[in-house]
Amino acid sequence: MVNYLWENFFRNQDKNQNLRQKLKQNILFQDLNFSELSLVEKIVNVRHYRPGESIFKQGEVGVGMYIILSGVVNIYVEELQAATGASYTTHVTQLKSGDFFGELALVETEGRRSASATAHEECLLVGFFKPDLIEIIERSPSAGVKILSRLGEVLGARLRQTTARITELKKEGRRQ
Amino acid sequence: MNPSQIAIDRERKLKLFFFLCTLLLLVAAIVMIKNVFVSFLLAFVTYFVMAPIVDFLERRGLSRSLATTFPFLILVIILIVLGQIFFPVLSDQINSLKTDFPKYLDASTKFVTNLESQANTFMEKIYPVDLRGNLQPKVMNLAQGFFTNLPDFISQSLTIFFLAPFLAFFMLLDGRDFVRRILALVPNHYFELALNLNHQISAQMGGFIRARILESVLIAFVIWVGLILLGFPYALILAVFAGVMNVIPYLGPFIGAAPALVICLANAHDSSTILWIVFIYALAQVLDIILIIPFVVAKIVDLHPVTVVLAVIVGSQLLGILGMIISIPLFSALKVSTSAIYKHLTDFRS
Repeated sequence: MVNYLWENFFRNQDKNQNLRQKLKQNILFQDLNFSELSLVEKIVNVRHYRPGESIFKQGEVGVGMYIILSGVVNIYVEELQAATGASYTTHVTQLKSGDFFGELALVETEGRRSASATAHEECLLVGFFKPDLIEIIERSPSAGVKILSRLGEVLGARLRQTTARITELKKEGRRQ
Repeated sequence: MNPSQIAIDRERKLKLFFFLCTLLLLVAAIVMIKNVFVSFLLAFVTYFVMAPIVDFLERRGLSRSLATTFPFLILVIILIVLGQIFFPVLSDQINSLKTDFPKYLDASTKFVTNLESQANTFMEKIYPVDLRGNLQPKVMNLAQGFFTNLPDFISQSLTIFFLAPFLAFFMLLDGRDFVRRILALVPNHYFELALNLNHQISAQMGGFIRARILESVLIAFVIWVGLILLGFPYALILAVFAGVMNVIPYLGPFIGAAPALVICLANAHDSSTILWIVFIYALAQVLDIILIIPFVVAKIVDLHPVTVVLAVIVGSQLLGILGMIISIPLFSALKVSTSAIYKHLTDFRS
């Protein structure tokens, strides 16, 4: 009995340390100190997904982002062809442990998801949503500022990548 | 649908069922156990009033437990000091009111009789009015009941007043964790919706309760000062009564002013005193409209006046005065929930 309690106690500690490590590795939370990270750890939501289970669907209103603790997530886009009425699914990317997605929803007001996300295998995700970000800003403004400035950096980088990709596509179009 | 999707769907339904059962059990426990419902209501009010202070102290670097304990200690000290000052005054005023009550009842009866005879001069043949016969036994029963049940009421109130701060303390300390644990039971499919809904309802309730308390305190203070300056009896009881009644929309200010006018009639005050009383109660309402509503209006739940009146009537039918007081916050929570669920069904998942 004592062993069982001790094992469980330390297993829980290991689990918490694992979550804290994963959060610390994420760009959004990498500037946070120990107490700020403990606050984030208490606030975020760890969710378990079965293989094939939908995390969110394209077109839904997004409330926040997800960080992958373990497992693989598929991101795909569905397109509807106006002429034929048929829908096509394009696989965009496969994300694995440490990656994150859906961060645009943290700054948008009722912005819609631009792609769908589905668990490819058993997944453990950390959900970090707008109400969580508001709670952090209310309880620890310094942590909120650090997260928001990193979020701005991530969104800026995504915008730069998108601009570069559009320029490339335009160049390709002109060449053809 | 493939087998894995069927399994996911079954798990989702099971989780949703378990979550709803937990929620229902919690609500049932709060409503069914004696004194717990009112204690929870008071604890919620205390929670929403003190949450900004606790968050502020936490922002200044205090741990959550210290940030919660510190304002509670100050609140207890303030309550003890205020109790020392106001309880003797309040107790004297209640005793005096108990002695003078037959006089006020008599004055009210005369007023009603007068009203009745005036009404009967032109309505007797069509529909004879018997206001006194209908009202007097009810008022007598109510008044006798109030003074006979006062010791029971005080002992119940003491339980509530000890239980409510205890609950509020733990709501402030661990409430968010508790809500998070309950929300963790929600299936993945509805999780974002549930989290968002909880945030919206909590923000709206907090704003509403803080605004209403601020209004009541202002109303009670203005009336108390006005009545003291006028040298009117029972200033403190009347001010507290008007402040509490002000929580009831539209009807509250009139119910709050009624006892002062009855006392005026009973003591046969001259018309200038009655005008002063009307002026003091009206001034309190005007100050509320000028000072409080423009600054907190955005936080007060946006409900149509007809909806407000209907909600108050339903509340009074179900739970009496308590129902009238809590009908608007409960109805606004219902409104936020249903509109968010409707939006979820029609828009969120489109």
